[in-house]
Amino acid sequence: MSKQPCAVIGIGQTKHKRRRDDVSLPGLVREAAQRALDDAELTWTDIDAVVIGKAPDPFEGVMMPELSMADALGANGKPMLRVHTAGSVGGSTSIVASHLIETGRHDRVLTVAYEKQSEGNAQWGLAGGRSGGMGAGGIFAPWMKSFRQRSGAPEDIGWKVAVKDRRNAAKNPYAHLQMPNLTIEEVKESPMLWDPIHFHESCPSSDGACAMVLTNEDGAKRSSKPPAWVLGSAMRSELGTFPGRDTVRPQAGVECAHAVYEAAGVTNPREQIDMAELYVPFSWYEPMWLAGHDIFTPEEAWKMIDAGETNLGGSFPVNPSGGVLSSNPIGASGMLRFAEAALQVRGMAGDHQVEGASVALAQAYGGAAQYFAMWVVGSTLDAVEKKKHK
Amino acid sequence: MSDTGTQDAAASTEPVAMMDYFMHLEYHEVVAPNFRRYGEALMNEKIIGGKCPGSCGLIYVPPRSFCPIDVVEMTEADDVELAQTGTVTNYTVVAPVQYYGQEETEPFVRASIALDPPGGSLMLQDILDVPVDQVRAGMRVRAVWLDPAERSVDEIDNRAGRGAPGLIKGWTPTGEPDVPEGQYHDEGF
Amino acid sequence: MEDIAIIGYAQSPSWREAEQTENQFLYPVISEAVERAKIGRRDIGFTCAGSCDYLSGQTFAFVMNLEAVGAWPPISESHVEMDGAWAMYEAWVRLQEGDIDTALAFGSGKSSPGNPREIYPLQNDPYTLTPLGADPVSLASMQARALIEAGKITEREMAEIVVRSRRNAESNPRAQVKGSPDVDVLLKEPYFAAPLRKHDLPPISDGATAVVLATAKKAREVCERPVWIRGIDHRIDIHQPGFRDLTVSRSAELAGKAAGIGDAPVEFAELCASFSHEEKILREALGLDDGVEVNLSGGALAANPMMAVGLARIAEAARLIAEGGRKRGVAHATSGSCLQQNLVCVLEGD
Repeated sequence: MSKQPCAVIGIGQTKHKRRRDDVSLPGLVREAAQRALDDAELTWTDIDAVVIGKAPDPFEGVMMPELSMADALGANGKPMLRVHTAGSVGGSTSIVASHLIETGRHDRVLTVAYEKQSEGNAQWGLAGGRSGGMGAGGIFAPWMKSFRQRSGAPEDIGWKVAVKDRRNAAKNPYAHLQMPNLTIEEVKESPMLWDPIHFHESCPSSDGACAMVLTNEDGAKRSSKPPAWVLGSAMRSELGTFPGRDTVRPQAGVECAHAVYEAAGVTNPREQIDMAELYVPFSWYEPMWLAGHDIFTPEEAWKMIDAGETNLGGSFPVNPSGGVLSSNPIGASGMLRFAEAALQVRGMAGDHQVEGASVALAQAYGGAAQYFAMWVVGSTLDAVEKKKHK
Repeated sequence: MSDTGTQDAAASTEPVAMMDYFMHLEYHEVVAPNFRRYGEALMNEKIIGGKCPGSCGLIYVPPRSFCPIDVVEMTEADDVELAQTGTVTNYTVVAPVQYYGQEETEPFVRASIALDPPGGSLMLQDILDVPVDQVRAGMRVRAVWLDPAERSVDEIDNRAGRGAPGLIKGWTPTGEPDVPEGQYHDEGF
Repeated sequence: MEDIAIIGYAQSPSWREAEQTENQFLYPVISEAVERAKIGRRDIGFTCAGSCDYLSGQTFAFVMNLEAVGAWPPISESHVEMDGAWAMYEAWVRLQEGDIDTALAFGSGKSSPGNPREIYPLQNDPYTLTPLGADPVSLASMQARALIEAGKITEREMAEIVVRSRRNAESNPRAQVKGSPDVDVLLKEPYFAAPLRKHDLPPISDGATAVVLATAKKAREVCERPVWIRGIDHRIDIHQPGFRDLTVSRSAELAGKAAGIGDAPVEFAELCASFSHEEKILREALGLDDGVEVNLSGGALAANPMMAVGLARIAEAARLIAEGGRKRGVAHATSGSCLQQNLVCVLEGD
C-alpha cells in the first residue's frame, strides 16, 4: 500500500525551567498539548489517538504514566500508546505517531513527550540508585575525548558550541537557560564535571513538555497555517556494550542517517538540508553527530564550528533553538528537536528562524549512544527535489 | 489528650507547592549461574570471561549465557581465565553529584582496562596510587585485590557489568612504559 | 489496511521465580518464534519490545533485552513501556507502511524480585491514589464488590471461573497454577481482600512471549497455517476509578467493536482476566455468550508474567488456530487497574 503523507500542523511546548512548581505532571503535559491544539486550530475531541513518550519512569516515580495521564490528555475512549526508547524517546514517539497517519490508521494524532525532573532525582535515576554513578555525561566523556583525538580538533571547539547554543537560546522564549552573554572564558573556567567536560558544556536538568498535532493531506489543507511535511523518518538500535564497539561513530547512527536520507530523497545532506536540530547534551556531540551522520567529515565538522558556520546565520545552522544544551527535559528533548525542525520549515521559529529553511533534519539519540531516531521535514512535499534542481 | 511536644508550625503564607514522597522498593533477584561463576572466581582471585564459540570469538567479561552478536548459547565450557594485567584504554574523572545513596565526595576516576591476552576488558574501574589528574590512556596496570577477609560477592549481581566491586580494589601502575597511542584499541567499553 | 498474519509464536514457561535473568530467558523464546516462522533473524524488518523498568527494578532495564534480539549489525527497533501486546500493535502499524514484510514483537518481565503490592501503587495517580497505597488488589476488590452488588456475579461464580482456569491449565505445559480444586473448598478459604480470596488473584510470574508478524505476501510464502489478524484495536478508560462504572469496561467494548468482533461468530477467547471477576466484565464487554470457550490455556489466573501476559493471550490464541484446529477467536490484553486499558485482537485461520 502507498503511504499517505504526514503533516505537522500544530506545535506546542512549555517554558522549560529547573522547577515548574506551578503545574502538576498532567498540568505540564497539558500545557504543551493545549498549545499544540491551539496552533492546529483543533480541540481535544478532534484527536483520534494519543502517543506519549518519556524517559524512565523512576525519574518522577510514576510507573506507566499514560494510565494516570489519560484523563488530562483527553484520551478517554481513545487509543493511547506509551513509547520508551531512553533519550531518543521524544524522536521515536514522533515517528510512531507519524506512522499512525501515514498508514491511514488515524486522521489526527496528538503526540506528547515530557519530563518533570524536579519531581524526582535524575542523578539518582541515572546512577541506577547506586553510589558512584557516572552521571549523565560520565559514560560519554571518554568518547568525546576520543573524537577530539581522532579528528585533531583543538580543545575550544566544545566551548564554542556551548556559547553558540546559549546565545541561540536567548532568542527562544521557551528555552530553560537564558545566558546571552556567556563567554568562552566562562565556559573554560567553569568546574570540570567529567574530564574533559566543563559545567557550562553540559545540559541543564529541566521540567518541560512538547507536543505536536499530526494529520494527513486533508487535514493539512484545512489548516490555515503552513504545515511541515514529514519527508522521511528512521529508527535504528544497536547493542550498547560489546568488545570492539565503535562508540565514537556508532554504526546505528550512520545507518539511521542513511536510511532517513534515502527515505526523504536526500542525496547530498550538506547541500540539500538547510539546518539541523541534533541531540547535543554535551558540547562535543555537535561535531560528533555532524560527522556520525555523514553530513561532514570529522575534520570538516569541527572546522565548520570553528568558523561559525553552525551559528544562526551560518551556512549550516545547528540547534538554533538552543538545543539540549539549553533545555533538557530528558523525555521531551527528542521531540523538541523534531518539533523545532518542523517550526523552521513552517517559518514559525520567530527570532531563531533560519531564513528560508525549507528542509530540516532532526535527530535524537539515547542509551549508550545506541538508539537513534531521525526525521527530515520540508515546507512542501517536493522540498528536497526542489533543492536538486537549483 | 497530652501534648507530646509538637510545636505549632509557623503559619506559612506560601501555598504548598511540593510534598516529599519517599518510597522504598526492595528487589530480590536470583543471581544467574554465569554471574555466580564470575563472582566465585573473583573470590579466588581469578578473573574469568566467556569466549564466544561462534564466529565472533569475542571475550565477554563477565561470561554470558549467550553471545548477543552471534546469537548462540554460551556455557561454562566457554569460560576462560583472563590476565590480571592490562592497559588503560580510556577514562574520565567524575565530579560526584550528591544524590541519595551517593558515597563519593571527591572527584574519582573511572577507566576502561583492556586485559592482556587472551583478552577481555573491564569498564568503570578505579585507578589506585595515581592522582586523578595523572591518569592517562596507555598506562600499564595490574589488578589489586581486596584482602580475602574483606572480599564479598554481595555486589556481583545480574548487572555485574561494573567490573568487580567488593573484590578488586582497583588497578595500580605496573611501572612499565605506556603503550603508545594507536597500539591499543580505544575501547569505551 | 494490509492483511497481517502471525507466522510464529513462542512462550517461556511461567515461573514463580526464574533462575535466569530476563534477557537470558527471553533469548530462546525469540529464537523459537523466529524458527517457527521459518525466517532468519536478519530477515526481520522491525522489532518492538514491551517491558517495564519498575518491574525490573532498574532505570533503562529494557536496554539489556536488546541483547536477546541480536541487535548487531544495527536493527530497526522500538520499545513501549507496556505489555508486549502493545508492542505487537506498534509492529502491526509499522508493517502497514509497506516497506518491510516481517516484524518481531515480544514482551517480558520478572515479577518475582519485587513486591507487586509495593510497586503497583506507583502506577496510579501520584497525587491522589499512590499516597493511599491504592494497589491493584485493593482496587480489583472494589470492582469485584461493585459487580457483586450489581447482581452480575457471585463469589461462587468467581470460584467456578478459577476452577475452570486451573483445569484448563492442566493441559498447558507453560502454565504455572494447575489443578482441580473443589469450589466449596475454595469458598471456605478466608478473604484476602474481600470479596477476593487468594484463589481469585493471579499468581506472581516471570516469563516472556514473542510473536512474528508478516504481510500477506510473505505469510503465504513461508507459512503453512498463517493466523490472520482480522482486526486489532485498543482503547483506554478514565483513570480515576471513582469516575467510571467499574462494573463494565467501556474501553474493552469500544476496542472489541472496532476490532470487528461482531463481524462473524467467535469460537474461543483468550482474555487477560487476572482477577476472576474480570472475566465476567470482559465477556459482557466483548459480547461473548456462554458458547464461547474462554481461556482454554488457563488464562492469566494460571500464569501471569506481567508485560508478557497480554501477548501470551495472543500467542495462545494463535496456537489454537495454527495447531488446535480452531477457526476464529479473540485475544485480549489489559493494562492498569480495573481493566482501565484494553487491547482486542480478532484472529482467524484460513
